[in-house]
Amino acid sequence: MDAAAMAILLQQLVNSLAISAIIIMIGIGITLVFGLTGIINFAQGELLMLGGVATWLLVGRAGVNFFAALVAAAVIVGAVGFLLERSIFRFTLRRPMNGFIISLGLSVFLQHFVIRFWNSYQKSIPDPVGGVWQVGSIRIAAVRVMVVAVTAAAVGFTFFAISRSRHGLALRAAVADQDTARLMGIPVARYVTAVFVYGSALAGLGGALMIALFPITPFVGQDVVVGGFAVALIGGLGNVAGAVVAGLILGFADGLSAGYGLPEWTEAYSFALMILILLVRPQGLLGGTEGPAIV
Amino acid sequence: MRQAFAAAALAAALSAFGASGGHAEDVIKIGVVAAESGSFVSAGNTIPAAERLATKEINDAGGVKIGGKTYKIQLEVRDDRTSIDTAIAAARELVNDVGVQAIFGTESHDFSIAMTKITGPAKVLQFTGNSTLGQFLTKEAVARGGANHYVFQTEPQEFQRSGSTAKGVLALLTPLMAQPPKHSVVFVANDVAGRYLSSHYVRALEANGQKVDLVYYPPDTQDFTALLTRIKGMKPDIVHFWYNGDETLVAHPQAVQLDVAPAYFLFGVDPGVWRERKLTSGAPLTLSCVPMCWGAPPTKAAAAYFDRYFGMGATKGVQSSVSLLYYDYLHWYVKALEAVGRLDDPDAVVDWLLKSKYQGVVSAAPLVFNDRHQVTFATEVCLVKPNTSGQFKCAVEEPPAAPPPGDPGN
Repeated sequence: MDAAAMAILLQQLVNSLAISAIIIMIGIGITLVFGLTGIINFAQGELLMLGGVATWLLVGRAGVNFFAALVAAAVIVGAVGFLLERSIFRFTLRRPMNGFIISLGLSVFLQHFVIRFWNSYQKSIPDPVGGVWQVGSIRIAAVRVMVVAVTAAAVGFTFFAISRSRHGLALRAAVADQDTARLMGIPVARYVTAVFVYGSALAGLGGALMIALFPITPFVGQDVVVGGFAVALIGGLGNVAGAVVAGLILGFADGLSAGYGLPEWTEAYSFALMILILLVRPQGLLGGTEGPAIV
Repeated sequence: MRQAFAAAALAAALSAFGASGGHAEDVIKIGVVAAESGSFVSAGNTIPAAERLATKEINDAGGVKIGGKTYKIQLEVRDDRTSIDTAIAAARELVNDVGVQAIFGTESHDFSIAMTKITGPAKVLQFTGNSTLGQFLTKEAVARGGANHYVFQTEPQEFQRSGSTAKGVLALLTPLMAQPPKHSVVFVANDVAGRYLSSHYVRALEANGQKVDLVYYPPDTQDFTALLTRIKGMKPDIVHFWYNGDETLVAHPQAVQLDVAPAYFLFGVDPGVWRERKLTSGAPLTLSCVPMCWGAPPTKAAAAYFDRYFGMGATKGVQSSVSLLYYDYLHWYVKALEAVGRLDDPDAVVDWLLKSKYQGVVSAAPLVFNDRHQVTFATEVCLVKPNTSGQFKCAVEEPPAAPPPGDPGN
């Protein structure tokens, strides 16, 4: 491999990191909600879209600093998640398929809600970081580094909150055996709400990061949600580390197949890989829950 | 007495209803099928907006005078949601239930072709701004009794649009480049329209001395960096982002970040959007519009049109100029109805359209349908002065009369 080809390969690997970051962000929200509460929420992509629109309103219309808007987007979408869980998904926990169908309708509703008030055109914000670093022959956009860094921080926080904290322990106990958890005084229903709100907030954060990278439309959610579910299933439901590994695999598969395979088959390569992994490891790469059937 | 009063009241009500029914007959229903939601919304929204403007102008001017009666235009707009099934259902409803005289739309090539299967048998005229129709508008198909006799293509043949655009792009970019460009990469969505349109544009570039590579991307791509890095490895002089203006505006900044090429061309991105979003590019960059730019209108008539268009509340979008593929033709169609003097003779309307000329906004020369129901006009291309958001130099290159070598012409 000559120097030019090596430079292109390194550039592809760098590019793939940012692709992975967005996939991981949406995937973690889905894996937590699906894996730990059993709610199959296909409107998770629209929650990401809402995060992007909130960021656009705050940065583009109100002149708020991007990083303040980033936090605000997570809080706003978390609050939307709270409302949705309390008003809709709470009543579908015993019938997850109802929740799934409702989420499909909800995704269309949320798209048209945004269109009604802020039209269907692309929305973008100025690059919040700016600048491109040249490292040898590799070009690294500072905004992509920021996206990877924020994702890494969110993943780290989530991982330790679930695997190390008292609340994480209670949550895992609730997933393993709800009746026993209840008898031990764990408020299972509150944990379901908390997980749903946290998953929604992560989607809001993902939306804010996404609009920092690309213009978005009210339909962006439907493009990313399938990748998010793929990450959740490949990694193992409810498994944060699994979602990270799966997101990296899909991100690099996406990037490298676009770079070296038939470009128009890019998505097909990623999903063929997903099918293969799920056939070989039905429980996901790092194992996971099956989600509580009844709360 | 009460019964007599009730009967009189009923008779009066029926009479009033009959009178309003009479008013209902004094309208000409015109259908519009377009994407007011979904991924083609940027172009789709422009079609109803253009026809609302044309309808207002026609109705405000007194309506349509046919056989001693005056009719108002009544627009029936249906959102195809960027879904071919919805477009077909909308066409069926408009033709079979609503009873429209003509349909304008859609913005999507394959949708329009599907709709011709509904409009044709019903003898409903269909005006559609899709150059891909050239494949179907053969002389046999548009002849009386042919499958597409009632279909009119309101956009030039693709080899003409591509030829006009390629000449404009190269003429504007070459003086700003260190060496004359020889190697172009065309970057286009891998869908029906993208494959069709790029096949002609590649030939047009080759006819203008370019070695061309063609790279497809999956539709709805957000992160283009992997494909753009691949293109960078091809060492192009110019990367041409072809056809979907919204996706182009996502991809182009990523290309600049990666320093993919010394110059770029963005098809279907209006200079007005470039200015409003305060975008800049250090590398030489050209933008083109379908067919004239609202951000840099080439004629007074075009400038006045865009003032009226946006004055009606239309959104200033990436592809607002697509409205010009529809606006003129409603005016022209109404003239045909008035000239024929009947609403029930679509064949006579077709004949009149084919032998008439219409001086519209879209072209400095009068519009004429050729014997395959297609029009000819040029495409405007604008150069963005490097590192500015609002300084443009534009060109309107005349389209070629014949297809270049290797281009079958349809």
